[in-house]
Amino acid sequence: MADLGFRENVMGPQPIGKIVEQPPEVREAADHFIHALMRGDIDAAKAMTEPQAYDDLKTLAAAIAPERHDKIEYIGGARIARHFFLKVRLPGTPPVKFQFRLGQNPAGEWTMREANDLTGRRSAWSR
Amino acid sequence: MERMIAVDKLARPEDHILLRSDRVRNARAEQGITPNSPMPYEDDFLKSRMHGICAGEFQAMEAAGRTLYDFPDAPWEFQLDMARQVWDESRHAEIYMKLLEYVGSYYGEFPEGEVLWSCTQAEDPAARVAGINRGLEGLACDVFEQLIRLAQNMGDEVIERAVDYVLADEITHVRMGSKWMRKLTEGDPERLKRAQAFQDSIDDVFNFGNGRTFVENAEHVKQRIGEKEFEIDRSITIAREARLLAGFTEEEIDRLVKGFRKSAAY
Repeated sequence: MADLGFRENVMGPQPIGKIVEQPPEVREAADHFIHALMRGDIDAAKAMTEPQAYDDLKTLAAAIAPERHDKIEYIGGARIARHFFLKVRLPGTPPVKFQFRLGQNPAGEWTMREANDLTGRRSAWSR
Repeated sequence: MERMIAVDKLARPEDHILLRSDRVRNARAEQGITPNSPMPYEDDFLKSRMHGICAGEFQAMEAAGRTLYDFPDAPWEFQLDMARQVWDESRHAEIYMKLLEYVGSYYGEFPEGEVLWSCTQAEDPAARVAGINRGLEGLACDVFEQLIRLAQNMGDEVIERAVDYVLADEITHVRMGSKWMRKLTEGDPERLKRAQAFQDSIDDVFNFGNGRTFVENAEHVKQRIGEKEFEIDRSITIAREARLLAGFTEEEIDRLVKGFRKSAAY
Protein backbone atom coordinates (compact mmCIF):
# COMPACT_ATOMS: atom_id res chain seq x y z
CA MET A 1 0.00 0.00 0.00
CA ALA A 2 1.20 3.51 -0.74
CA ASP A 3 2.74 5.36 2.20
CA LEU A 4 0.26 8.12 2.93
CA GLY A 5 2.72 9.96 5.20
CA PHE A 6 2.06 12.97 7.43
CA ARG A 7 2.24 11.07 10.68
CA GLU A 8 4.54 13.45 12.53
CA ASN A 9 1.62 15.66 13.54
CA VAL A 10 -0.10 12.74 15.27
CA MET A 11 0.88 12.41 18.91
CA GLY A 12 1.49 9.19 20.77
CA PRO A 13 2.83 5.78 19.82
CA GLN A 14 1.67 4.30 16.54
CA PRO A 15 0.24 2.00 15.55
CA ILE A 16 -1.96 1.47 18.60
CA GLY A 17 -2.51 -2.21 17.64
CA LYS A 18 -0.25 -4.95 16.35
CA ILE A 19 -0.34 -6.17 12.77
CA VAL A 20 -1.52 -9.78 12.67
CA GLU A 21 0.86 -11.98 10.69
CA GLN A 22 -0.28 -15.09 8.88
CA PRO A 23 1.08 -18.13 10.77
CA PRO A 24 3.66 -20.04 8.67
CA GLU A 25 1.57 -23.22 9.09
CA VAL A 26 -1.13 -21.63 6.93
CA ARG A 27 1.20 -21.36 3.95
CA GLU A 28 2.48 -24.89 4.53
CA ALA A 29 -1.07 -26.24 4.54
CA ALA A 30 -1.92 -24.19 1.45
CA ASP A 31 1.13 -25.56 -0.39
CA HIS A 32 0.12 -29.09 0.53
CA PHE A 33 -3.46 -28.56 -0.63
CA ILE A 34 -2.53 -26.92 -3.93
CA HIS A 35 0.15 -29.50 -4.78
CA ALA A 36 -2.44 -32.23 -4.29
CA LEU A 37 -4.74 -30.47 -6.76
CA MET A 38 -1.88 -29.96 -9.23
CA ARG A 39 -1.14 -33.70 -9.11
CA GLY A 40 -4.81 -34.49 -9.55
CA ASP A 41 -4.81 -36.23 -6.16
CA ILE A 42 -8.36 -35.35 -5.16
CA ASP A 43 -8.35 -37.73 -2.20
CA ALA A 44 -5.40 -35.91 -0.61
CA ALA A 45 -7.09 -32.55 -1.19
CA LYS A 46 -10.37 -33.91 0.17
CA ALA A 47 -8.62 -35.18 3.28
CA MET A 48 -7.90 -31.58 4.24
CA THR A 49 -11.30 -30.20 3.23
CA GLU A 50 -14.28 -29.73 5.54
CA PRO A 51 -17.45 -31.49 4.29
CA GLN A 52 -19.23 -28.16 3.74
CA ALA A 53 -16.66 -27.32 1.02
CA TYR A 54 -16.77 -30.61 -0.93
CA ASP A 55 -18.76 -28.98 -3.73
CA ASP A 56 -16.29 -26.08 -3.91
CA LEU A 57 -13.46 -28.62 -4.06
CA LYS A 58 -15.16 -30.47 -6.90
CA THR A 59 -15.46 -27.24 -8.89
CA LEU A 60 -11.86 -26.34 -8.20
CA ALA A 61 -10.54 -29.78 -9.08
CA ALA A 62 -12.41 -29.64 -12.39
CA ALA A 63 -10.72 -26.32 -13.21
CA ILE A 64 -7.18 -27.55 -12.53
CA ALA A 65 -5.94 -29.98 -15.15
CA PRO A 66 -3.59 -32.53 -13.50
CA GLU A 67 0.14 -32.31 -14.21
CA ARG A 68 -0.20 -29.08 -16.21
CA HIS A 69 1.15 -26.70 -13.58
CA ASP A 70 4.48 -26.65 -11.79
CA LYS A 71 4.44 -23.27 -10.12
CA ILE A 72 2.28 -21.60 -7.46
CA GLU A 73 1.97 -17.82 -7.32
CA TYR A 74 0.39 -16.45 -4.14
CA ILE A 75 -1.13 -13.18 -5.27
CA GLY A 76 -3.29 -12.10 -2.35
CA GLY A 77 -4.66 -12.82 1.07
CA ALA A 78 -7.00 -11.63 3.79
CA ARG A 79 -8.46 -12.92 7.00
CA ILE A 80 -11.63 -13.04 9.00
CA ALA A 81 -10.61 -13.40 12.66
CA ARG A 82 -8.46 -16.58 12.68
CA HIS A 83 -9.41 -17.90 9.25
CA PHE A 84 -7.16 -16.99 6.33
CA PHE A 85 -7.97 -16.50 2.68
CA LEU A 86 -5.32 -17.09 0.03
CA LYS A 87 -5.57 -16.05 -3.60
CA VAL A 88 -3.48 -18.11 -5.98
CA ARG A 89 -2.53 -18.19 -9.64
CA LEU A 90 -1.23 -21.31 -11.34
CA PRO A 91 0.53 -20.31 -14.56
CA GLY A 92 0.51 -22.97 -17.25
CA THR A 93 -1.93 -24.22 -19.80
CA PRO A 94 -4.57 -23.23 -19.10
CA PRO A 95 -3.75 -20.74 -16.31
CA VAL A 96 -5.99 -20.94 -13.25
CA LYS A 97 -6.82 -18.40 -10.57
CA PHE A 98 -8.69 -19.20 -7.36
CA GLN A 99 -9.06 -18.28 -3.72
CA PHE A 100 -9.79 -20.41 -0.69
CA ARG A 101 -10.13 -20.15 3.07
CA LEU A 102 -8.20 -22.14 5.64
CA GLY A 103 -9.17 -22.51 9.29
CA GLN A 104 -7.91 -24.68 12.11
CA ASN A 105 -10.03 -27.67 13.17
CA PRO A 106 -10.22 -28.83 16.81
CA ALA A 107 -7.25 -31.16 16.15
CA GLY A 108 -5.16 -28.15 15.19
CA GLU A 109 -5.02 -29.00 11.47
CA TRP A 110 -5.56 -26.29 8.87
CA THR A 111 -8.45 -27.32 6.66
CA MET A 112 -10.10 -25.83 3.60
CA ARG A 113 -13.50 -24.25 4.37
CA GLU A 114 -14.51 -22.70 1.04
CA ALA A 115 -13.06 -22.03 -2.39
CA ASN A 116 -13.91 -19.93 -5.43
CA ASP A 117 -12.61 -20.54 -8.94
CA LEU A 118 -11.77 -17.04 -10.18
CA THR A 119 -10.45 -18.04 -13.60
CA GLY A 120 -11.76 -15.56 -16.13
CA ARG A 121 -13.53 -13.58 -13.41
CA ARG A 122 -12.64 -10.39 -11.62
CA SER A 123 -13.80 -11.40 -8.19
CA ALA A 124 -15.98 -13.67 -6.06
CA TRP A 125 -18.44 -10.84 -5.53
CA SER A 126 -21.11 -12.27 -7.79
CA ARG A 127 -22.48 -15.79 -8.16
CA MET B 1 -25.44 3.43 -22.14
CA GLU B 2 -25.06 0.71 -19.55
CA ARG B 3 -26.52 1.70 -16.20
CA MET B 4 -26.34 -0.12 -12.89
CA ILE B 5 -23.07 -1.87 -13.59
CA ALA B 6 -22.43 -5.21 -11.89
CA VAL B 7 -20.35 -5.16 -8.75
CA ASP B 8 -17.71 -7.33 -10.45
CA LYS B 9 -16.94 -4.43 -12.77
CA LEU B 10 -15.59 -2.31 -9.93
CA ALA B 11 -11.81 -2.21 -10.25
CA ARG B 12 -9.81 -3.55 -7.32
CA PRO B 13 -6.16 -4.52 -6.87
CA GLU B 14 -5.61 -8.16 -7.77
CA ASP B 15 -4.23 -8.97 -4.33
CA HIS B 16 -7.53 -8.11 -2.62
CA ILE B 17 -10.00 -10.75 -1.50
CA LEU B 18 -13.51 -9.85 -2.63
CA LEU B 19 -16.30 -11.93 -1.25
CA ARG B 20 -20.07 -12.07 -1.16
CA SER B 21 -21.43 -11.03 2.20
CA ASP B 22 -23.06 -14.40 2.90
CA ARG B 23 -19.62 -16.01 2.70
CA VAL B 24 -18.26 -13.46 5.16
CA ARG B 25 -21.10 -14.31 7.54
CA ASN B 26 -20.41 -18.05 7.15
CA ALA B 27 -16.73 -17.55 8.01
CA ARG B 28 -17.70 -15.60 11.13
CA ALA B 29 -20.30 -18.18 12.20
CA GLU B 30 -17.80 -21.03 11.86
CA GLN B 31 -15.56 -19.28 14.35
CA GLY B 32 -18.31 -18.66 16.84
CA ILE B 33 -18.56 -14.93 16.04
CA THR B 34 -22.15 -13.68 15.74
CA PRO B 35 -22.66 -13.78 11.97
CA ASN B 36 -25.45 -11.25 11.57
CA SER B 37 -24.38 -8.71 14.13
CA PRO B 38 -23.39 -5.30 12.81
CA MET B 39 -20.73 -5.17 15.53
CA PRO B 40 -17.61 -7.23 14.86
CA TYR B 41 -17.30 -8.64 18.46
CA GLU B 42 -13.85 -10.05 17.99
CA ASP B 43 -10.27 -9.26 18.97
CA ASP B 44 -9.96 -7.08 15.89
CA PHE B 45 -13.02 -5.00 16.67
CA LEU B 46 -11.57 -1.63 15.64
CA LYS B 47 -9.63 -2.95 12.65
CA SER B 48 -12.59 -4.84 11.33
CA ARG B 49 -15.00 -1.93 11.84
CA MET B 50 -12.68 0.58 10.18
CA HIS B 51 -11.93 -1.79 7.32
CA GLY B 52 -15.63 -2.14 6.60
CA ILE B 53 -16.05 1.64 6.65
CA CYS B 54 -13.01 2.16 4.42
CA ALA B 55 -14.44 -0.27 1.85
CA GLY B 56 -17.73 1.61 2.15
CA GLU B 57 -15.97 4.90 1.40
CA PHE B 58 -14.47 3.43 -1.77
CA GLN B 59 -17.83 2.12 -2.90
CA ALA B 60 -19.51 5.44 -2.01
CA MET B 61 -16.92 7.26 -4.12
CA GLU B 62 -17.63 4.90 -7.02
CA ALA B 63 -21.39 5.20 -6.54
CA ALA B 64 -21.34 9.01 -6.65
CA GLY B 65 -19.09 8.91 -9.72
CA ARG B 66 -21.38 6.42 -11.37
CA THR B 67 -24.44 8.59 -10.62
CA LEU B 68 -22.68 11.54 -12.23
CA TYR B 69 -21.91 9.45 -15.32
CA ASP B 70 -25.27 7.70 -15.56
CA PHE B 71 -27.45 10.81 -15.64
CA PRO B 72 -25.92 13.31 -18.07
CA ASP B 73 -29.26 15.08 -18.50
CA ALA B 74 -29.67 15.83 -14.80
CA PRO B 75 -29.38 19.50 -13.74
CA TRP B 76 -25.87 20.93 -13.73
CA GLU B 77 -26.05 21.62 -9.98
CA PHE B 78 -26.93 17.97 -9.38
CA GLN B 79 -23.84 16.90 -11.32
CA LEU B 80 -21.71 19.38 -9.37
CA ASP B 81 -22.96 17.93 -6.08
CA MET B 82 -22.15 14.39 -7.24
CA ALA B 83 -18.67 15.48 -8.37
CA ARG B 84 -18.09 17.12 -5.01
CA GLN B 85 -19.18 13.93 -3.30
CA VAL B 86 -16.69 11.86 -5.31
CA TRP B 87 -13.94 14.15 -4.05
CA ASP B 88 -15.24 13.99 -0.46
CA GLU B 89 -15.44 10.19 -0.48
CA SER B 90 -11.94 9.87 -1.89
CA ARG B 91 -10.65 11.96 1.03
CA HIS B 92 -12.62 9.77 3.42
CA ALA B 93 -11.07 6.65 1.90
CA GLU B 94 -7.62 8.16 2.48
CA ILE B 95 -8.49 9.09 6.06
CA TYR B 96 -9.69 5.57 6.82
CA MET B 97 -6.62 4.05 5.17
CA LYS B 98 -4.54 6.14 7.56
CA LEU B 99 -6.75 5.16 10.49
CA LEU B 100 -6.29 1.51 9.52
CA GLU B 101 -2.52 1.99 9.72
CA TYR B 102 -3.03 3.76 13.04
CA VAL B 103 -4.82 0.75 14.55
CA GLY B 104 -2.27 -1.74 13.15
CA SER B 105 -4.05 -2.80 10.01
CA TYR B 106 -4.04 -2.05 6.29
CA TYR B 107 -6.58 -1.90 3.51
CA GLY B 108 -6.94 -5.45 2.21
CA GLU B 109 -6.34 -7.20 5.54
CA PHE B 110 -9.98 -8.32 5.51
CA PRO B 111 -12.23 -9.30 2.60
CA GLU B 112 -14.37 -6.62 0.97
CA GLY B 113 -18.09 -7.33 0.60
CA GLU B 114 -20.49 -6.26 -2.12
CA VAL B 115 -23.60 -5.41 -0.13
CA LEU B 116 -23.23 -1.62 -0.27
CA TRP B 117 -22.90 -1.59 -4.05
CA SER B 118 -26.03 -3.69 -4.34
CA CYS B 119 -27.87 -0.79 -2.66
CA THR B 120 -27.00 1.62 -5.46
CA GLN B 121 -28.97 -0.15 -8.16
CA ALA B 122 -31.69 2.34 -9.16
CA GLU B 123 -32.51 3.61 -12.64
CA ASP B 124 -33.94 6.93 -11.48
CA PRO B 125 -31.55 9.62 -10.18
CA ALA B 126 -34.11 10.60 -7.52
CA ALA B 127 -34.18 7.01 -6.23
CA ARG B 128 -30.41 6.75 -6.54
CA VAL B 129 -29.80 9.74 -4.26
CA ALA B 130 -32.59 8.62 -1.92
CA GLY B 131 -30.89 5.25 -1.55
CA ILE B 132 -27.25 6.29 -1.50
CA ASN B 133 -27.33 9.76 0.05
CA ARG B 134 -30.20 9.30 2.46
CA GLY B 135 -30.12 5.54 3.09
CA LEU B 136 -26.43 4.66 3.08
CA GLU B 137 -25.05 8.04 4.12
CA GLY B 138 -27.70 8.19 6.85
CA LEU B 139 -26.37 4.85 8.08
CA ALA B 140 -22.86 6.33 7.93
CA CYS B 141 -24.02 9.13 10.27
CA ASP B 142 -25.18 6.48 12.76
CA VAL B 143 -21.99 4.43 12.49
CA PHE B 144 -19.66 7.42 12.74
CA GLU B 145 -21.44 8.98 15.71
CA GLN B 146 -21.06 5.65 17.49
CA LEU B 147 -17.38 5.39 16.58
CA ILE B 148 -16.77 8.92 17.89
CA ARG B 149 -18.36 7.99 21.23
CA LEU B 150 -16.23 4.86 21.40
CA ALA B 151 -13.08 6.89 20.69
CA GLN B 152 -14.06 9.34 23.44
CA ASN B 153 -14.54 6.38 25.76
CA MET B 154 -11.07 5.14 24.81
CA GLY B 155 -9.57 8.61 25.19
CA ASP B 156 -8.31 8.43 21.59
CA GLU B 157 -8.41 11.91 20.07
CA VAL B 158 -6.92 10.80 16.75
CA ILE B 159 -9.86 8.54 15.93
CA GLU B 160 -12.38 10.92 17.50
CA ARG B 161 -11.32 13.93 15.44
CA ALA B 162 -10.69 12.10 12.19
CA VAL B 163 -14.13 10.48 12.25
CA ASP B 164 -15.80 13.73 13.30
CA TYR B 165 -14.26 15.39 10.26
CA VAL B 166 -15.70 12.69 8.00
CA LEU B 167 -19.10 12.83 9.72
CA ALA B 168 -19.39 16.53 8.89
CA ASP B 169 -19.17 15.66 5.19
CA GLU B 170 -21.65 12.80 5.48
CA ILE B 171 -24.20 15.17 6.99
CA THR B 172 -23.78 17.38 3.93
CA HIS B 173 -24.23 14.38 1.64
CA VAL B 174 -27.51 13.45 3.29
CA ARG B 175 -28.69 17.04 2.89
CA MET B 176 -27.78 16.91 -0.79
CA GLY B 177 -29.74 13.67 -1.12
CA SER B 178 -32.81 15.15 0.53
CA LYS B 179 -32.62 18.26 -1.63
CA TRP B 180 -32.33 16.36 -4.91
CA MET B 181 -34.82 13.66 -4.04
CA ARG B 182 -37.42 16.41 -3.51
CA LYS B 183 -36.34 18.65 -6.38
CA LEU B 184 -36.20 15.91 -8.99
CA THR B 185 -39.65 14.65 -8.03
CA GLU B 186 -41.38 18.04 -7.84
CA GLY B 187 -44.96 17.73 -9.15
CA ASP B 188 -44.63 13.95 -9.40
CA PRO B 189 -45.74 12.39 -6.08
CA GLU B 190 -45.61 8.86 -7.51
CA ARG B 191 -41.97 9.28 -8.42
CA LEU B 192 -41.24 10.63 -4.93
CA LYS B 193 -43.02 7.61 -3.44
CA ARG B 194 -40.89 5.23 -5.52
CA ALA B 195 -37.70 7.01 -4.46
CA GLN B 196 -38.71 6.81 -0.80
CA ALA B 197 -39.61 3.14 -1.21
CA PHE B 198 -36.13 2.47 -2.61
CA GLN B 199 -34.61 4.18 0.42
CA ASP B 200 -36.87 2.15 2.73
CA SER B 201 -35.64 -1.05 1.11
CA ILE B 202 -32.07 -0.02 1.90
CA ASP B 203 -32.89 0.97 5.46
CA ASP B 204 -34.41 -2.51 5.82
CA VAL B 205 -31.17 -4.17 4.73
CA PHE B 206 -29.36 -2.43 7.57
CA ASN B 207 -31.80 -2.91 10.41
CA PHE B 208 -29.61 -5.76 11.73
CA GLY B 209 -32.34 -7.94 13.15
CA ASN B 210 -34.34 -5.35 15.06
CA GLY B 211 -31.45 -4.47 17.35
CA ARG B 212 -31.19 -0.77 16.48
CA THR B 213 -32.29 1.87 18.96
CA PHE B 214 -31.51 5.45 19.87
CA VAL B 215 -28.22 6.03 21.70
CA GLU B 216 -29.94 6.55 25.06
CA ASN B 217 -31.76 3.19 24.83
CA ALA B 218 -28.77 1.13 23.68
CA GLU B 219 -27.79 -2.01 25.55
CA HIS B 220 -24.10 -2.37 26.21
CA VAL B 221 -21.61 -5.22 26.11
CA LYS B 222 -17.97 -5.51 27.12
CA GLN B 223 -15.48 -5.48 24.26
CA ARG B 224 -11.72 -5.91 24.52
CA ILE B 225 -9.82 -3.41 22.37
CA GLY B 226 -6.06 -3.81 22.60
CA GLU B 227 -5.07 -4.13 26.25
CA LYS B 228 -8.24 -2.68 27.71
CA GLU B 229 -11.89 -3.56 27.95
CA PHE B 230 -14.57 -1.04 27.00
CA GLU B 231 -18.34 -0.91 27.06
CA ILE B 232 -19.75 -0.71 23.57
CA ASP B 233 -23.29 -0.57 22.22
CA ARG B 234 -24.74 -3.98 21.44
CA SER B 235 -25.85 -2.81 18.00
CA ILE B 236 -25.51 0.16 15.68
CA THR B 237 -27.47 2.98 17.26
CA ILE B 238 -29.50 5.70 15.54
CA ALA B 239 -27.82 9.09 15.77
CA ARG B 240 -30.88 11.30 16.11
CA GLU B 241 -28.91 14.55 16.46
CA ALA B 242 -26.68 13.88 13.46
CA ARG B 243 -29.69 12.84 11.39
CA LEU B 244 -31.57 16.01 12.37
CA LEU B 245 -28.52 18.05 11.38
CA ALA B 246 -28.53 16.18 8.10
CA GLY B 247 -32.06 17.31 7.40
CA PHE B 248 -34.07 14.23 8.33
CA THR B 249 -37.34 15.27 9.94
CA GLU B 250 -38.48 13.92 13.32
CA GLU B 251 -41.24 12.12 11.41
CA GLU B 252 -38.71 10.47 9.10
CA ILE B 253 -36.56 9.36 12.01
CA ASP B 254 -39.60 7.92 13.80
CA ARG B 255 -40.57 6.10 10.60
CA LEU B 256 -37.04 4.68 10.43
CA VAL B 257 -37.27 3.40 14.00
CA LYS B 258 -40.69 1.87 13.38
CA GLY B 259 -39.35 0.23 10.23
CA PHE B 260 -36.47 -1.26 12.19
CA ARG B 261 -38.91 -2.68 14.73
CA LYS B 262 -41.15 -4.40 12.23
CA SER B 263 -38.57 -5.67 9.77
CA ALA B 264 -35.74 -8.12 10.16
CA ALA B 265 -34.54 -8.33 6.61
CA TYR B 266 -30.79 -8.52 7.25
